[in-house]
Amino acid sequence: MASLDPLQASLRIAGSGLEAQSARLRVISENIANAQSTGTTAGADPYARKTITFDSVMDRALGLPMVHVKSVGVDPTPFKVELDPGNPAADAKGFVKMPNVDLLVELADMREANRSYEADLQVAKQSADLMNQTVNLLRDA
Amino acid sequence: MSQIYLLQLASQQAKWLTARQALIADNIANANTPGYRAKDIQPFSEILDQTQIGMAATNPAHIVPASEELAAAATPSESESWETTVSGNSVSLEQEMMKEGDINRSFTLNTNIKRVFHQMLLSALK
Repeated sequence: MASLDPLQASLRIAGSGLEAQSARLRVISENIANAQSTGTTAGADPYARKTITFDSVMDRALGLPMVHVKSVGVDPTPFKVELDPGNPAADAKGFVKMPNVDLLVELADMREANRSYEADLQVAKQSADLMNQTVNLLRDA
Repeated sequence: MSQIYLLQLASQQAKWLTARQALIADNIANANTPGYRAKDIQPFSEILDQTQIGMAATNPAHIVPASEELAAAATPSESESWETTVSGNSVSLEQEMMKEGDINRSFTLNTNIKRVFHQMLLSALK
């Protein structure tokens, strides 16, 4: 942190937070869009819910702690089973495996991502504001 | 000259505030990172109490201690948090936002004081 001005640094860090949260929103929208995606062949597995985790990583070039997407994984929760003999993914007994996506969970997750994104934006705004105030010292002195 | 020292003090506080702002940016960016603990630096008054005013070098033979950086003396440490989530993350966005507002107010006060001092010095010149 010694090389970069702390206000510049906080802008960069807030930027990495924005990037991480938008990656999270992307995964959430993928899950919601695929909430009804079943397989195409008989007895095939449907869409599996994706999960995302973050990690705090030291950026070697800048010497700043930044947030990165650690991994995008697959939720191991078992699939729900529905009786729908007409579905192309139905097995011999007429049961179809449905994705393990819970819309309520996804929407709650989306809200949280939204709040965190807003908080990051607020930090970026304030850092820029503080820089402006410093510059304005020269303006009307 | 005491006025000059006051300006120096104000710029040291500005440095401390920007260092704290960077730390809070880190906390907020990691608001959803599992296992991340919220950090903060010690209060400015505490850092100020630890540092002593260096003696003036009036002779080339005097040894001048390396210019002490008040802001550099600040070391981040785990802060008290309002809540810890199940993933072990102790960042409370509300708490961090309060700190942000605090920094904003202090920084505005700081720049305004600097401006007034500057005007004072200028009024002696003009």
